Amino acid sequence: MRRLFTMPPQVLRICLLAVGIVAAYTIARYFLTPPSFGEYGWYRGAALAELATRDRVYAGKKACEECHGDEYQKLTKHEHKSLACESCHGPGEAHAGDPRKDNIDRSSYAACIRCHEANPSRPKWHKQIVSKNHYTGSKCTECHVPHSPLEVP
Amino acid sequence: MKNNVSRRNVLGRITAAVAGLLAAPAAKAAKTVTQKVLVTADAPKDYDPTKHKWVMAIDANRCIGCGFCAEACKKENHVPEGPYFRTWVERYIITKPKLGSGAARGETLVDSPDGGIHGYPEAPVPKEDIQHSFFVPKLCNLCKHSPCTQVCPVGATFDAPDGAVLIDPKYCIGCGFCIQACPYGCRFLSPVTKTAEKCTLCYHRITRGLKPACVEVCPTQARIFGDLKHPMPDDPIQQFYQNNLVVALKPHLGTEPRLFYAGIDKEVR
Repeated sequence: MRRLFTMPPQVLRICLLAVGIVAAYTIARYFLTPPSFGEYGWYRGAALAELATRDRVYAGKKACEECHGDEYQKLTKHEHKSLACESCHGPGEAHAGDPRKDNIDRSSYAACIRCHEANPSRPKWHKQIVSKNHYTGSKCTECHVPHSPLEVP
Repeated sequence: MKNNVSRRNVLGRITAAVAGLLAAPAAKAAKTVTQKVLVTADAPKDYDPTKHKWVMAIDANRCIGCGFCAEACKKENHVPEGPYFRTWVERYIITKPKLGSGAARGETLVDSPDGGIHGYPEAPVPKEDIQHSFFVPKLCNLCKHSPCTQVCPVGATFDAPDGAVLIDPKYCIGCGFCIQACPYGCRFLSPVTKTAEKCTLCYHRITRGLKPACVEVCPTQARIFGDLKHPMPDDPIQQFYQNNLVVALKPHLGTEPRLFYAGIDKEVR
């Protein structure tokens, strides 16, 4: 049987090399593509779940309410109702998991003044004081109850 | 070519056929082994990203500049110390124009000491010289056409189907293209992991039914968060759109942010 067309050896070598490269790529791709790649788009779908598995630091209002229902109810009925517990008391996930007095911020003067110190950039509706002219030397809590701020005991 | 039915030839063909039959299952087994090395996480099954569309909104009229949001973000997401922020608060001060200058407004001063994580000190200019001043919380603008995703060479940054723009830390090579691409400056290269980091909308919280940490601690509800696919009764997001004239930052760039602002000045970029 006579060949109709004889391929020059240099062309044959190049063709074989090309086939080899494509085969190597196909095999590597088959083994190395993560199973979730392309699940939602051109990325690894499992990354979503991985990012979701992190531990939280802030517990959220609901966790606080479970034990401190009375304080929570008081807060929701007064001026500070838009605040979360953790706005002033700091992150509470550690405290929610292991309730002790020393793993939650008991809150202080700094927390009050951080919002209520007069500052021209703050909106006008927000109640502000100039701390150096406002009963200097006294603690805020001597006159104000943080959970029901308009009540003066 | 004439004597092609030799013993060697037949044996060779049989071996090839057997190898071919075994190749597929062997490759599959090898694939599972390789991928076990590549992927370690097993996904929690109760959250379906295609069934949500998270969105955030900022009402700057309500921001009092306490910086609790920026502080909470640092703590919640273990953001490295120093000038690295996933969210921060900026203070804009527009001074009064010089008398007789004919200008409507003076200079615009913008500052953000430590991103606002310790609250705000006194204004750098006397109160009498200020024409107008306000705070603007900043974070990822949740672009519909996010430039950061488009430039990522390895598919590490992506628009998740639930609206968050996320980074796959296992794929990120830390090239920093996305940091240059983000027109809102919302990304940074973490000195700890050497990968790009950004706001994830607290993905570990929202997938468990909690609000992002910044929204949780905001004392005035200047930050509003919701799910467009599951609006709640009296949905705060819907109310925000109803009650405010909203704007997006840098609309001329065509990024189509899904983060809308109310109550900001033209000077905010």
